[in-house]
Amino acid sequence: MAKKLVVKDRERCIGCYSCMFACTRTWYEAVGIEKSAMRVKNYPGVEGAFSVRVCQACRDPECAAACPTGALRVSKRGFGVELVKELCTHCRECIKACAANALQWDEQEKLPIVCHHCGVCVRYCPTKVLAMEEVR
Amino acid sequence: MYRMLSVDLTSGKVEEKEVSELFRTFIGGTGVLTYLAMQEITKDLDPFSEKSPIYFAIGPLNGYFPSMSKTVAMFRSPLTGDLGESHAGGRLSLAMLSANVHVLRITGRAEKPVYLSIDDDSVKLVPCSSLWGRSALATERILREKEDHRKGKKSIVRIGPAGERLSPIAAVTVDSSRHFGRLGLGAIMGSKNLKAIVVSGSNCPELKDKRSYQSLYDRIFQELIGSENTYKYRDLGTAANVVPLSKIMGLPTRNFSQGFFEGAQGISGEYFADHVLAQQISCAHCPIGCIHMGVLRELFADPHMYKALKTSYDHELIYSLGSNVSVSKAENVLKLIHFVERQGWDAISIGVVLAWATEAFQRGFITLKETEGPALNFGDVETYLKVLENIALGKNEFYRDLEKGTYHCAKKYGGEDFAICFNKNEAPGYMTGPDAFVGYAVGVRHSHLDCAGYSVDQKYLGRSEDIEKEVRAMYEEAVWRVLTNSLVMCLFARGVYTPQKVVECLNAVGFDIDESKMNQIAHTVHGMKYSLKESLGFAFADLTLPKKLTSVYTSRGKMSEADFKKRIEPYQRLVEEDKSLASRAL
Ligand code: SF4
Ligand code: SF4
Ligand code: SF4
Repeated sequence: MAKKLVVKDRERCIGCYSCMFACTRTWYEAVGIEKSAMRVKNYPGVEGAFSVRVCQACRDPECAAACPTGALRVSKRGFGVELVKELCTHCRECIKACAANALQWDEQEKLPIVCHHCGVCVRYCPTKVLAMEEVR
Repeated sequence: MYRMLSVDLTSGKVEEKEVSELFRTFIGGTGVLTYLAMQEITKDLDPFSEKSPIYFAIGPLNGYFPSMSKTVAMFRSPLTGDLGESHAGGRLSLAMLSANVHVLRITGRAEKPVYLSIDDDSVKLVPCSSLWGRSALATERILREKEDHRKGKKSIVRIGPAGERLSPIAAVTVDSSRHFGRLGLGAIMGSKNLKAIVVSGSNCPELKDKRSYQSLYDRIFQELIGSENTYKYRDLGTAANVVPLSKIMGLPTRNFSQGFFEGAQGISGEYFADHVLAQQISCAHCPIGCIHMGVLRELFADPHMYKALKTSYDHELIYSLGSNVSVSKAENVLKLIHFVERQGWDAISIGVVLAWATEAFQRGFITLKETEGPALNFGDVETYLKVLENIALGKNEFYRDLEKGTYHCAKKYGGEDFAICFNKNEAPGYMTGPDAFVGYAVGVRHSHLDCAGYSVDQKYLGRSEDIEKEVRAMYEEAVWRVLTNSLVMCLFARGVYTPQKVVECLNAVGFDIDESKMNQIAHTVHGMKYSLKESLGFAFADLTLPKKLTSVYTSRGKMSEADFKKRIEPYQRLVEEDKSLASRAL
């Protein structure tokens, strides 16, 4: 059965961003974190507390439902989403619709950054915050 | 393309300049900044004048490879008058790369307090009088919230009240508890009415040859997370040194009176980990996770009202606010660190000031008249907190003097023999023997990290000395570190990044370089640094060993002023070669 990315143990996060670098590198062949599909955020004023946002791998995704052109649609896997770039009108409706605040926006390309549930970020997490889990 | 952003705080003018040629010649980081500083930092420049520049730089490997996570700052030190250089981690190097700023140069003076805001191409000076006076910690909280609308990760670089008061031992704090600590950069920001710098951006440079890059990246990453070389930094952190150092009489205790601290167990890395460690955190793009955050739970009202202070600790802080002032409880060390963090002093310097003041009081150089009440005793945390508070309040002339540094105080009140400074800079936390002390004296920034004399000492424990070899080992380390500081690498990754790996990494980012060329650049920049230092007044011949240190027992026994000089001379000869190399190259 296919697997999805999950946050297994958030409190272990050391905020190294290795995960985001890995995602950006893998899917955009670039250096940095701003193109990562998952995000590690720090709270203002709370030392060392990180919030880890990953795509929830919805079967009936809010983001896709909000997409007016069908550019963002349920992935062939049956969970999570895929993007047909050519159809995207850069309206950001998908971003607003994801209640988990998990879908990210590529500021340069003006496109949503979808998670492929590929598991690369998991392999770079030194403290095993992230994991791949069976989709039920 | 490498880019320098210049901001003039007086006029508000912002200029961009391509500096790719400088990066090709000097690699980046400290190499590039040394060259730039040579053009602008001159003998007659007042560090607090409008013209006085502050530079920050990253190098070609920041962002590209893990644990290349530091930023270098350069300036004229208000503490020593010499070249000031300091390094910090946090998220700054990532933020600068994301904003496509490889060098940031700041000059001028704002009329009223401002913070410098950089978000991609938007560069602004934001008035912030209401932030003036706020602690270094509060300033970060406020700005992180205020600038929360930004897309990219922010790095927040700021001063506390110590910098505003122009204390020449004031630090600049970066994100969560990283610092440009040493040599007084905080005071220069203060003199410019520059409370903070907030940097972010969305630039993600494209990779050219991803396949080969990825395999090199993976090799390095695996070593960083799996090797012995980095394990100690993650596990107990540098605090692991405390007990072993005390055992070999290398842990400065009570103002460097001895190297054995009877209370070492109570401030050991193990004690901290077992009782106060909350978690480890990391700088951006570093999987090591060396930053140890301690939590101090304090009862503030009976019976069960608690507050919790979260603050980071490491060996240097445990020495300066622990053993060297005879504080033997981890919880008390955290209390002192927290106060120092809020004010924004360099923790090493302020600790050495406290230790000097205590000894000066005990020997009668300072009396109750100066302290207006408190009698200074080693180990007396409550009094130390009171003293720090009085300094923060600028209570009287004596307290205002204390934050001008140990050298200044000893000149004024006496007690120079036990003022533990090298070239006016307060000493770091090792008294392992002659190489540690010589290293503080000759190092480019008078830090234990310049040439790692403390580690050379430890290799020669119980062996007969070999001055020539020892000096050469320190010198070679110093030259190599010029290179790693040009990348800009975290020193904790030094066991993984061998010269050969560094060449591979540089090749991967488009540098046409091999080991011998790299070595040549390191020697050249090393020579440039000393030429610049000497033009600002530094002289090997003037270096002295604080008198007290000739009568104390180090890990390698007692040393004399002559032992000290015997090492300085050959070190200077090696540096002379680099200086002539540099003068030929420029
Ligand atoms: S982006 Fe949000 S709504 Fe869309 S599939 Fe992921 S979690 Fe669900
Ligand atoms: S699972 Fe893959 S696509 Fe999703 S965040 Fe991780 S690396 Fe990126
Ligand atoms: S790699 Fe793991 S520890 Fe590092 S930021 Fe990501 S989730 Fe946190």
